[in-house]
Amino acid sequence: MHLRILIADAVPADIEPLEAVACKLGHDVMIAQDGIALLEKHRDFEPDLIFMDVALPQLNGVEAVRRIRALPSRRWVPIIFFSVPAAAEDIVRGLDAGGDDYLFKTASPPLIGAKINSYARTLAIQRDVRSYLQELGSWREDAEEQNKLGQHVVSRLLDAAGLSDPLLQWMNTPAETFSGDLVCAARGPGDILYAMLADAAGHGLAAALTALPLTQVFYGMAAKGFPIQTIAEELNRKLKSFLPVERFVAASLVALDIRNQTIDVWNGGNPDILFLDENGTVVLRWPSRHPPLGILPPDLFNSASETVNYQHPGELVLFSDGIIEAEDPAGRRLNLEGLEAILGAAPEGLRLATLEQGVMRHLAGRPDHDDLSAIVVRVPLERRQTLRPAPTAATAETGVSEWRMELSWGVSELRDMDVVPAVLGFISQIQVLKAHQGQLFLILSELFNNALDHGVLGLDSRLKNAEGGFERYLESRENSLKTLSEGRIAMAFHLHQSGERPVLDIRLEDSGRGFDYARLGQLFDAMPDLNQHHGRGILLVKSLCRELTYSGPGNVVSARYLL
Amino acid sequence: MQINEKTDGPSARLNLAGRFDFHSHRDFRTAYETLLAKAEVREIAIDFGRVDYLDSSALGMLLLLREKAEAAGKKVKLANIGGAVKQVLEIANFGKLFTIE
Repeated sequence: MHLRILIADAVPADIEPLEAVACKLGHDVMIAQDGIALLEKHRDFEPDLIFMDVALPQLNGVEAVRRIRALPSRRWVPIIFFSVPAAAEDIVRGLDAGGDDYLFKTASPPLIGAKINSYARTLAIQRDVRSYLQELGSWREDAEEQNKLGQHVVSRLLDAAGLSDPLLQWMNTPAETFSGDLVCAARGPGDILYAMLADAAGHGLAAALTALPLTQVFYGMAAKGFPIQTIAEELNRKLKSFLPVERFVAASLVALDIRNQTIDVWNGGNPDILFLDENGTVVLRWPSRHPPLGILPPDLFNSASETVNYQHPGELVLFSDGIIEAEDPAGRRLNLEGLEAILGAAPEGLRLATLEQGVMRHLAGRPDHDDLSAIVVRVPLERRQTLRPAPTAATAETGVSEWRMELSWGVSELRDMDVVPAVLGFISQIQVLKAHQGQLFLILSELFNNALDHGVLGLDSRLKNAEGGFERYLESRENSLKTLSEGRIAMAFHLHQSGERPVLDIRLEDSGRGFDYARLGQLFDAMPDLNQHHGRGILLVKSLCRELTYSGPGNVVSARYLL
Repeated sequence: MQINEKTDGPSARLNLAGRFDFHSHRDFRTAYETLLAKAEVREIAIDFGRVDYLDSSALGMLLLLREKAEAAGKKVKLANIGGAVKQVLEIANFGKLFTIE
């Protein structure tokens, strides 16, 4: 290493051999003849190595060293006393003041050369270490900058109004700065509560980045009322196209439809989803049925979900594997049994807080190596509430311009398409209809499902009333759809001014045989038995609409909705 | 994690022992890439008999192996699955992606 060497000595003859050796080795040399000049040249010349006599005029060597060492400096400049043996005591004081070494003036040129070379090697190491430190420092600055940006973006993307739903409690504790777990929730049209707990492989920023594409898809599709099978399919498709082979996201999706008392679940790669009754007993569980998202190509992906019709209130609990794999200081995992014990002992309503405390107690101060997340959804039995009359929306001040649309679907669309969310997505583009999305979703879902299930597929909804009937009904619906060879449903919309009120007329016609709708009048008049599945939906539609009439053999239904 | 390779004609076996997690990345890749490069090897069995821990990055490595083996026209199977390993593979439904011996 090439050095800049500063030599301080009042006697030019003493300097000569040292200067000669240093120059011969190819180093730059600068001379100072007194203590003050030494300080000035140290400042201006920024030497790598200093040779100095302890006896210097103006300012003695010991004091000069003290002053140099008092200067702020980020690098070490070795100071070697170059003195006569008689000055040994002064040399000791100089070393105490911050000097590093000494060399007697009697030293031979080879010895002087060896000393310089030895320091050159040490200084070369110092130079390398400093450049690594600098590099490391700028890496760290970059990383901190990226972390800050990442945290900002992630927090914005994750912050959703749906997470403050009164039915919902959740936690998400990252193992590092970023969580690879993702907790999302939203209310779809018709008040269906959607929740998702996703756990990306790995942790930290890489995992958070892996899971991020899910949020936009989830919120976008939940808002339009797509079923979770379709959402799962789309999430998988998106991840598969974004992620490298070794990255994937375990996810569980649930849709809670309080009005119809159903819970729909898709679980790919997460631990069991639990349903606890009021006593804390696990009465239902949905184990993982599929590989995580982002692994299978769309054509092999299985979106089949499991739907149950619940008869008792309770709480749904979703959690990531970090919770059951949490290890206590002895390395024992909490496991599913441990988790269920904690949940079972927890008072209803406080299960999330108890779970969080329970996991922390189990870890007992041991840092968690995985992200910990959980969602608790309160599942109420309050369908009566949804039978209220249509909310009165603000009437348009000026008349609406007339608008019509007619659509019709054949067998393959009926089999593969999510008709209602697609139609709703379209009609809610009409400004005056936007505020009515929720009601229109309920009306269209009900009328369309009736047309499909009872009209085209010819299913009898009384099937649902038997024990386990709901699941059997869903099964036969799926089979009938699969084997359906002919059928059609047409839907017509007419937005217009009727007297002073703008109205939306909705008409559905199916290719089925119709039904005895005269009996429906009795159902409307009688105090309906709310525990019957049968007829409950159509009562709701009737309560939301001004008019609801059947015609033909019962395969045509017309509804008038006031705006 | 320790990896022990045993090849018998067209059948190769990687016996794994210890914790299979992201620290094993390089060793595991080196081990299977050696096997993938051998034309005579037709089938690779990953033996989990002595693995006591498996994390999600290990699952990712298995997916990577699966893809590379497919491209090389070789079969991959997972063997000696039990305990904690079995639980992790079951939750991830890897039985739908791999042959399990």
